[in-house]
Amino acid sequence: MTAEELRETIARQFGRSLHIRTLDTGSCAVCEQEIRLLAAPHYDLQRLGFFFTPAPRHADLLLVTGPMIRAFEVAARKTYDAMPGPKVVVATGACALGGVYPADPFTHGTVDAVLPVDVWIPGCPPSPLALLQGLGVAVGRLAEKVRDLPFTVDDDPERTRGDS
Amino acid sequence: MTLWFIRGLRRGVVTTRYPARPDASARFLPTPPAFRSRALTRETAGRLAAICPSGALRLEDRTLVYDVGRCTACGRCAAEAPAAVRSSGEFELAAAARSELIKKIPIRGDLR
Repeated sequence: MTAEELRETIARQFGRSLHIRTLDTGSCAVCEQEIRLLAAPHYDLQRLGFFFTPAPRHADLLLVTGPMIRAFEVAARKTYDAMPGPKVVVATGACALGGVYPADPFTHGTVDAVLPVDVWIPGCPPSPLALLQGLGVAVGRLAEKVRDLPFTVDDDPERTRGDS
Repeated sequence: MTLWFIRGLRRGVVTTRYPARPDASARFLPTPPAFRSRALTRETAGRLAAICPSGALRLEDRTLVYDVGRCTACGRCAAEAPAAVRSSGEFELAAAARSELIKKIPIRGDLR
Protein backbone atom coordinates (compact mmCIF):
# COMPACT_ATOMS: atom_id res chain seq x y z
CA MET A 1 0.00 0.00 0.00
CA THR A 2 1.50 3.31 -1.04
CA ALA A 3 1.60 6.32 1.23
CA GLU A 4 -1.00 8.08 -0.91
CA GLU A 5 -3.43 5.15 -0.68
CA LEU A 6 -2.85 4.96 3.05
CA ARG A 7 -3.60 8.64 3.41
CA GLU A 8 -6.84 8.25 1.48
CA THR A 9 -7.81 5.23 3.57
CA ILE A 10 -7.18 7.15 6.77
CA ALA A 11 -9.22 10.10 5.52
CA ARG A 12 -12.08 7.83 4.48
CA GLN A 13 -12.15 5.55 7.52
CA PHE A 14 -11.38 8.08 10.23
CA GLY A 15 -13.47 10.89 8.79
CA ARG A 16 -12.97 13.87 11.01
CA SER A 17 -12.71 11.90 14.24
CA LEU A 18 -9.74 10.04 15.66
CA HIS A 19 -8.92 8.29 18.92
CA ILE A 20 -5.52 8.67 20.54
CA ARG A 21 -3.73 6.26 22.87
CA THR A 22 -0.73 7.72 24.68
CA LEU A 23 2.25 5.50 25.47
CA ASP A 24 4.95 6.50 27.96
CA THR A 25 8.16 4.60 27.21
CA GLY A 26 10.22 6.12 30.00
CA SER A 27 9.64 9.85 29.70
CA CYS A 28 10.03 12.31 32.57
CA ALA A 29 6.24 12.99 32.40
CA VAL A 30 6.51 16.59 31.17
CA CYS A 31 5.43 15.46 27.69
CA GLU A 32 2.44 13.83 29.42
CA GLN A 33 1.63 17.10 31.17
CA GLU A 34 1.54 18.88 27.83
CA ILE A 35 -0.58 16.09 26.31
CA ARG A 36 -3.03 16.37 29.20
CA LEU A 37 -3.23 20.13 28.60
CA LEU A 38 -4.58 19.37 25.11
CA ALA A 39 -7.84 18.25 26.68
CA ALA A 40 -8.12 21.38 28.86
CA PRO A 41 -10.60 24.09 27.78
CA HIS A 42 -7.88 26.40 26.48
CA TYR A 43 -6.63 23.99 23.79
CA ASP A 44 -9.76 21.84 23.70
CA LEU A 45 -8.60 18.93 21.56
CA GLN A 46 -12.13 17.63 21.06
CA ARG A 47 -13.09 20.61 18.92
CA LEU A 48 -10.75 19.22 16.25
CA GLY A 49 -12.29 15.75 16.42
CA PHE A 50 -9.51 14.08 18.46
CA PHE A 51 -10.31 12.00 21.54
CA PHE A 52 -8.19 10.15 24.09
CA THR A 53 -8.92 6.50 24.69
CA PRO A 54 -7.49 4.34 27.49
CA ALA A 55 -7.27 1.18 25.35
CA PRO A 56 -5.05 0.56 22.32
CA ARG A 57 -7.78 -1.62 20.79
CA HIS A 58 -9.91 1.50 20.35
CA ALA A 59 -7.08 3.72 19.17
CA ASP A 60 -6.23 4.98 15.69
CA LEU A 61 -3.16 6.95 16.70
CA LEU A 62 -0.38 6.01 19.11
CA LEU A 63 1.25 9.03 20.73
CA VAL A 64 4.60 7.77 22.04
CA THR A 65 6.76 9.70 24.50
CA GLY A 66 10.09 8.82 26.08
CA PRO A 67 13.33 7.22 24.85
CA MET A 68 11.91 3.65 24.56
CA ILE A 69 13.56 1.92 27.49
CA ARG A 70 14.43 -1.69 26.70
CA ALA A 71 12.27 -3.01 29.55
CA PHE A 72 9.25 -1.50 27.80
CA GLU A 73 9.96 -2.86 24.33
CA VAL A 74 7.63 -5.89 24.60
CA ALA A 75 4.79 -3.77 25.95
CA ALA A 76 5.27 -1.22 23.16
CA ARG A 77 5.16 -3.92 20.48
CA LYS A 78 2.06 -5.49 22.06
CA THR A 79 0.34 -2.09 22.20
CA TYR A 80 1.12 -1.49 18.53
CA ASP A 81 -0.08 -4.97 17.54
CA ALA A 82 -3.30 -4.55 19.53
CA MET A 83 -4.30 -1.46 17.55
CA PRO A 84 -6.60 -2.00 14.58
CA GLY A 85 -5.32 -0.80 11.20
CA PRO A 86 -4.88 1.66 9.64
CA LYS A 87 -2.85 3.13 12.47
CA VAL A 88 -0.51 6.06 12.91
CA VAL A 89 2.47 6.27 15.28
CA VAL A 90 3.61 9.71 16.42
CA ALA A 91 6.94 10.08 18.26
CA THR A 92 6.72 12.99 20.68
CA GLY A 93 9.48 14.98 22.31
CA ALA A 94 13.25 15.15 22.12
CA CYS A 95 13.66 11.83 24.03
CA ALA A 96 11.60 9.93 21.47
CA LEU A 97 13.60 11.54 18.66
CA GLY A 98 16.98 10.59 20.07
CA GLY A 99 18.07 13.85 21.62
CA VAL A 100 18.36 13.06 25.30
CA TYR A 101 19.37 9.43 25.89
CA PRO A 102 21.91 7.51 23.81
CA ALA A 103 21.28 3.90 22.79
CA ASP A 104 22.75 1.87 25.64
CA PRO A 105 21.95 -1.33 27.59
CA PHE A 106 18.96 0.42 29.19
CA THR A 107 17.31 2.40 26.40
CA HIS A 108 16.96 2.20 22.65
CA GLY A 109 17.34 5.98 22.61
CA THR A 110 14.72 6.51 19.89
CA VAL A 111 11.17 5.29 19.36
CA ASP A 112 11.74 4.34 15.72
CA ALA A 113 14.18 1.63 16.84
CA VAL A 114 11.09 -0.38 17.86
CA LEU A 115 7.96 1.08 16.24
CA PRO A 116 7.40 2.35 12.67
CA VAL A 117 7.06 6.10 13.30
CA ASP A 118 4.96 8.16 10.87
CA VAL A 119 5.27 11.65 12.35
CA TRP A 120 7.98 13.20 14.52
CA ILE A 121 7.15 16.10 16.89
CA PRO A 122 10.29 17.82 18.26
CA GLY A 123 10.35 19.84 21.48
CA CYS A 124 11.36 19.38 25.09
CA PRO A 125 8.52 19.24 25.82
CA PRO A 126 6.52 19.99 22.67
CA SER A 127 3.97 22.63 23.65
CA PRO A 128 0.27 21.80 23.27
CA LEU A 129 0.25 23.97 20.15
CA ALA A 130 3.11 21.97 18.67
CA LEU A 131 1.29 18.74 19.54
CA LEU A 132 -1.89 19.99 17.88
CA GLN A 133 0.02 20.82 14.73
CA GLY A 134 1.71 17.40 14.86
CA LEU A 135 -1.64 15.64 15.14
CA GLY A 136 -2.89 17.71 12.20
CA VAL A 137 0.12 16.63 10.16
CA ALA A 138 -0.43 13.00 11.22
CA VAL A 139 -3.93 12.90 9.77
CA GLY A 140 -3.03 14.96 6.72
CA ARG A 141 -5.12 17.98 7.69
CA LEU A 142 -2.21 20.38 8.16
CA ALA A 143 0.83 20.95 6.00
CA GLU A 144 4.30 20.48 7.40
CA LYS A 145 6.14 23.72 7.95
CA VAL A 146 9.53 22.50 9.12
CA ARG A 147 10.65 21.24 5.68
CA ASP A 148 10.93 24.83 4.45
CA LEU A 149 12.42 26.35 7.61
CA PRO A 150 16.17 26.92 7.12
CA PHE A 151 16.93 27.91 10.77
CA THR A 152 19.38 30.35 9.20
CA VAL A 153 18.95 34.11 9.36
CA ASP A 154 21.09 36.44 7.35
CA ASP A 155 20.27 39.87 8.67
CA ASP A 156 22.93 42.22 9.98
CA PRO A 157 24.11 40.96 13.39
CA GLU A 158 25.17 44.47 14.48
CA ARG A 159 21.76 46.00 13.82
CA THR A 160 19.62 43.35 15.48
CA ARG A 161 21.87 42.28 18.33
CA GLY A 162 19.63 43.78 20.97
CA ASP A 163 16.51 41.81 20.11
CA SER A 164 17.66 38.27 20.89
CA MET B 1 -15.97 16.28 26.36
CA THR B 2 -19.00 17.99 27.93
CA LEU B 3 -17.91 21.38 26.58
CA TRP B 4 -17.53 19.92 23.13
CA PHE B 5 -20.95 18.28 23.29
CA ILE B 6 -22.81 21.39 24.44
CA ARG B 7 -21.08 23.59 21.87
CA GLY B 8 -21.78 21.03 19.16
CA LEU B 9 -25.48 21.04 20.01
CA ARG B 10 -25.55 24.84 20.02
CA ARG B 11 -23.73 25.36 16.74
CA GLY B 12 -24.75 22.24 14.90
CA VAL B 13 -21.11 21.35 14.22
CA VAL B 14 -18.73 19.60 16.59
CA THR B 15 -15.38 20.54 15.12
CA THR B 16 -13.62 23.81 14.30
CA ARG B 17 -10.56 24.75 12.30
CA TYR B 18 -7.04 24.80 13.68
CA PRO B 19 -6.22 27.43 15.17
CA ALA B 20 -9.09 29.86 14.98
CA ARG B 21 -6.75 32.74 15.92
CA PRO B 22 -3.05 33.01 16.87
CA ASP B 23 -2.38 31.76 20.38
CA ALA B 24 -1.35 34.51 22.79
CA SER B 25 0.91 32.17 24.79
CA ALA B 26 2.98 31.19 21.74
CA ARG B 27 5.47 34.04 22.18
CA PHE B 28 6.42 32.85 25.68
CA LEU B 29 7.49 29.41 24.49
CA PRO B 30 11.18 28.54 24.37
CA THR B 31 11.87 27.81 20.71
CA PRO B 32 14.77 26.17 18.86
CA PRO B 33 17.61 28.47 17.79
CA ALA B 34 18.09 30.10 14.41
CA PHE B 35 21.65 30.80 13.31
CA ARG B 36 23.13 33.89 11.66
CA SER B 37 25.35 32.20 9.14
CA ARG B 38 27.44 35.33 8.51
CA ALA B 39 28.23 35.72 12.21
CA LEU B 40 29.06 32.02 12.53
CA THR B 41 32.74 31.14 12.28
CA ARG B 42 34.17 27.64 12.33
CA GLU B 43 35.58 28.34 15.77
CA THR B 44 32.16 29.47 17.11
CA ALA B 45 30.39 26.54 15.46
CA GLY B 46 32.84 24.10 17.03
CA ARG B 47 32.27 25.68 20.44
CA LEU B 48 28.48 25.44 20.01
CA ALA B 49 28.71 21.78 18.94
CA ALA B 50 30.82 21.08 22.02
CA ILE B 51 28.43 22.66 24.52
CA CYS B 52 25.17 21.33 23.03
CA PRO B 53 23.96 18.93 25.75
CA SER B 54 21.70 16.88 23.49
CA GLY B 55 24.09 16.46 20.58
CA ALA B 56 21.82 18.40 18.21
CA LEU B 57 24.74 20.34 16.72
CA ARG B 58 27.55 18.71 14.77
CA LEU B 59 30.33 20.43 12.90
CA GLU B 60 30.98 19.23 9.39
CA ASP B 61 33.42 20.70 6.93
CA ARG B 62 31.75 23.99 5.99
CA THR B 63 28.38 23.47 7.63
CA LEU B 64 26.92 23.19 11.08
CA VAL B 65 24.50 20.24 11.04
CA TYR B 66 21.53 21.04 13.25
CA ASP B 67 19.13 18.23 14.21
CA VAL B 68 15.92 20.01 15.25
CA GLY B 69 14.50 16.72 16.55
CA ARG B 70 17.24 16.37 19.13
CA CYS B 71 17.14 20.01 20.23
CA THR B 72 15.62 20.68 23.63
CA ALA B 73 15.59 24.49 23.14
CA CYS B 74 17.69 24.89 26.29
CA GLY B 75 19.22 28.13 24.99
CA ARG B 76 22.85 27.32 25.85
CA CYS B 77 24.00 28.03 22.29
CA ALA B 78 22.25 31.42 22.34
CA ALA B 79 23.92 32.23 25.70
CA GLU B 80 27.32 31.13 24.37
CA ALA B 81 27.22 33.12 21.13
CA PRO B 82 24.43 35.74 21.26
CA ALA B 83 25.71 37.41 18.08
CA ALA B 84 25.34 34.24 16.02
CA VAL B 85 22.35 32.52 17.60
CA ARG B 86 18.89 33.69 18.50
CA SER B 87 15.55 32.11 19.19
CA SER B 88 13.75 31.18 15.97
CA GLY B 89 10.21 31.62 17.32
CA GLU B 90 9.12 28.48 15.46
CA PHE B 91 7.28 25.78 17.35
CA GLU B 92 5.12 24.06 14.72
CA LEU B 93 7.85 21.58 13.86
CA ALA B 94 6.11 18.27 13.22
CA ALA B 95 7.63 16.31 10.32
CA ALA B 96 6.53 13.25 8.39
CA ALA B 97 10.14 12.26 7.68
CA ARG B 98 12.98 12.31 10.17
CA SER B 99 15.40 13.73 7.57
CA GLU B 100 13.31 16.91 7.29
CA LEU B 101 14.36 17.83 10.82
CA ILE B 102 18.07 17.81 10.00
CA LYS B 103 19.17 21.24 8.84
CA LYS B 104 22.47 22.25 7.31
CA ILE B 105 23.54 25.70 8.54
CA PRO B 106 26.19 27.26 6.27
CA ILE B 107 29.18 28.78 8.09
CA ARG B 108 29.91 32.11 6.39
CA GLY B 109 31.66 33.99 9.20
CA ASP B 110 35.16 33.12 7.96
CA LEU B 111 34.51 34.38 4.43
CA ARG B 112 34.75 38.06 5.27
